[in-house]
Amino acid sequence: MKKLFFVLVMASLLIAACSGGSTSATQAPAGGEKIEIRVWGHQAPAFNEANQKMFDDFMAANPNVTIKYETFPWDVFIQTIQTSLPAGNTADVILIPGGYTCRYASGGQLLEVPADVMTLDAAKGIFYDAPLGGQTCDGKMYGFPAEYNIEYGGAYVNPALFEAAGVAYPPTWENWDAVVADAKKMTTLGSDGVMTVAGLHYTNSDQLFTYFLAGILEQGSEYFAEDGRHFNFNSPEAIATIQKLMDMAQKDGVVDPIIFNAESEWVGDSFAQGHNAIGVLGSWYAGDAKIGYPDLTFDYVSLPPMMGSEHKFVSVGGWGYVVGKSTQHPDLAWKLVSFLGADQANVLFFNSKSATIPAMKSVATDAKYVEAVPFAAAVLPILDAGGYQGNLTDPDQLAYEIVYPTILDAIQGNLTAEEAANSINEAANAMVDAAQ
Amino acid sequence: MEISSLFKKEVVSESGKLTAKQRRFAYTSLAPILLYMGLFTLFPILWAVVMSFFSYTPIRQGSWFLGLGGQNPFVGIDNYIELFTGTGKPAEVFRLAVKNTFLFTALVLPLNLVITLPLAVLLESIGERFKTLFRAIYFLPTISSSVALVIIWSYMYAPGWGLLSMMFKAIGLVPPKSWLQDPNTVYFGVPLAMLCVVVAHVWQDFGYNLVIFVAALQSIPKTLREAARVDGASIWQEFWLIVVPLLRRTVLLTSVLTVISSLQVFVIFQLLTRGGPKNQTQTMLLSIYENAFKFANNLGLSAAMSMILFIIILILTVTQFRILRTEWEY
Repeated sequence: MKKLFFVLVMASLLIAACSGGSTSATQAPAGGEKIEIRVWGHQAPAFNEANQKMFDDFMAANPNVTIKYETFPWDVFIQTIQTSLPAGNTADVILIPGGYTCRYASGGQLLEVPADVMTLDAAKGIFYDAPLGGQTCDGKMYGFPAEYNIEYGGAYVNPALFEAAGVAYPPTWENWDAVVADAKKMTTLGSDGVMTVAGLHYTNSDQLFTYFLAGILEQGSEYFAEDGRHFNFNSPEAIATIQKLMDMAQKDGVVDPIIFNAESEWVGDSFAQGHNAIGVLGSWYAGDAKIGYPDLTFDYVSLPPMMGSEHKFVSVGGWGYVVGKSTQHPDLAWKLVSFLGADQANVLFFNSKSATIPAMKSVATDAKYVEAVPFAAAVLPILDAGGYQGNLTDPDQLAYEIVYPTILDAIQGNLTAEEAANSINEAANAMVDAAQ
Repeated sequence: MEISSLFKKEVVSESGKLTAKQRRFAYTSLAPILLYMGLFTLFPILWAVVMSFFSYTPIRQGSWFLGLGGQNPFVGIDNYIELFTGTGKPAEVFRLAVKNTFLFTALVLPLNLVITLPLAVLLESIGERFKTLFRAIYFLPTISSSVALVIIWSYMYAPGWGLLSMMFKAIGLVPPKSWLQDPNTVYFGVPLAMLCVVVAHVWQDFGYNLVIFVAALQSIPKTLREAARVDGASIWQEFWLIVVPLLRRTVLLTSVLTVISSLQVFVIFQLLTRGGPKNQTQTMLLSIYENAFKFANNLGLSAAMSMILFIIILILTVTQFRILRTEWEY
């Protein structure tokens, strides 16, 4: 009898342990009962602060709802969603980075935006193409873009270095040659011949990738092959773009790519330390710079097109709100997502507070936004010229393992533009073939 | 029943085998740790072996059985073939990473032993108070956070204004343009960036072997060394003919531990060079990490890389044990 009792107790303990935590997730809430909505995001003070305020507002308007906001460091966050989404064990709402939505949506791990919440056609009128493209997959909308990630069209300028070199400030460059001409004046070498100030720092990974694609597009070409999956990275336009990127370092000498690249003298830190006069980087860095370097004086200014006469570029999209398929409260989750991503007042608040570029057209043209985020004015006029980058198969591998190291190698003098273009083309298409 | 009663002589059967009660007790006692080991050690290893035969990524929907099958199909040894002969970027980089990992290990092992063994002998020859102090100083980097140490070394290696560059300039030498990111600076076939990582790693790691050598030196009977001295041996002869042979087992142990740890170094590469420049410091572990979590989450390919690393470590360890096998005891 004692043995039977022992076995029963152990069995019940085991069952309790195995089923721990699942009760609240599976039971339907009774009327008036508190419902908990879990939201996941990455650890970014400005984002987290803005989101928390909106969550508080949502909870105030919906007293039966508690929002549990969990944030993770970037690497942990990415790995967490990679393992949890397929396992069906995620938060109800996820603030997901640009380029990731389609990856999970095509695996059936995200819910499509219900038509009664917003249709794709309606969204096209509300949001810019690039960020909306980041939340769309196979013609279906899976989330609401929270911001417009743009690494193109703007640069940080250091007034002290402009003044020291006798260069007019603020700069009003009519074309790319004018940018390079000013950069040459501000480039400084030490007594040992080592570059101490780069006039123009553009040799960061994101920038080389962004401007490589933009350079091809600005010349009226395409980087996708006819099948829409493979790439055409060794076109004359691609080679010309690489050559331009090489010439600025090798002929004009505005940057030493051995010292200034993604791993050494990263453009943001380098700019903040006065090691580059014109730092090509996305507007998102301005918020970080203001917090990290409160005494730094800088401006964010427009850059002209590098390879053509008109701006044309692509973007990874931007952060967006999505709903995991495992949610037990889809209606409430979409209500929250709409509150965060479709309510103009909230979107204005989020973009102003987080200093991000708006994905919503009406917010980008709102005077209150420009007043709150003045440095964004440099890129606001070109937002319509951007498109979504498309299905790059594995965007991270393409950008950071194929395009960036190869172009940097060419800029460092180890490859010709043709060799670099052919190498990128071969590796990128091999990546597509491997994925198929 | 008292636990101590289980071990009383009278309860052990005459054949020396455990009684039923003792067996039950043993199984019950071992069950939690076996369960833990099975779940968190054995299962992940088996899971990695299985995954290496699948084109597996958790992003895709597989079958009900651990996500295998379906969109994560069985591919046999294709992942291994790809790694050995494939033309894709991950395979190409991995083959380079294998070479770099061996190069790193080949540089670290002798450098570590050349520093630690003489230093241990020196430490043994000084007074007890200073011995403890120096042992603590040398061991400090080993127990410090790798991340903090990498930050210190990144300032040392900073181009232009870094400590090393300034020291070079102070003594009239021209420092390299970039210690960690110049792909064109190579000494005796070894990229400068790799040399820099080796120096930083040995600095961090040598305290561990030092402590082992000091302990081993203390265990050598003084009578042996005294007898050698009585027989007229010089200090040098005493070291080479008495101390070094008696430390052979310890050299084996430290060699095996150093090789295994060198093959698995991750943090210092990830934070100091991220595999650059031009993949000159890309190691196997970096490749495994990048393919599993940074790029397309190709866990199948990463698992195959892990298996190759495991086999390499196994072969090297067994070989080292055979080469340095000794029968001596003292």
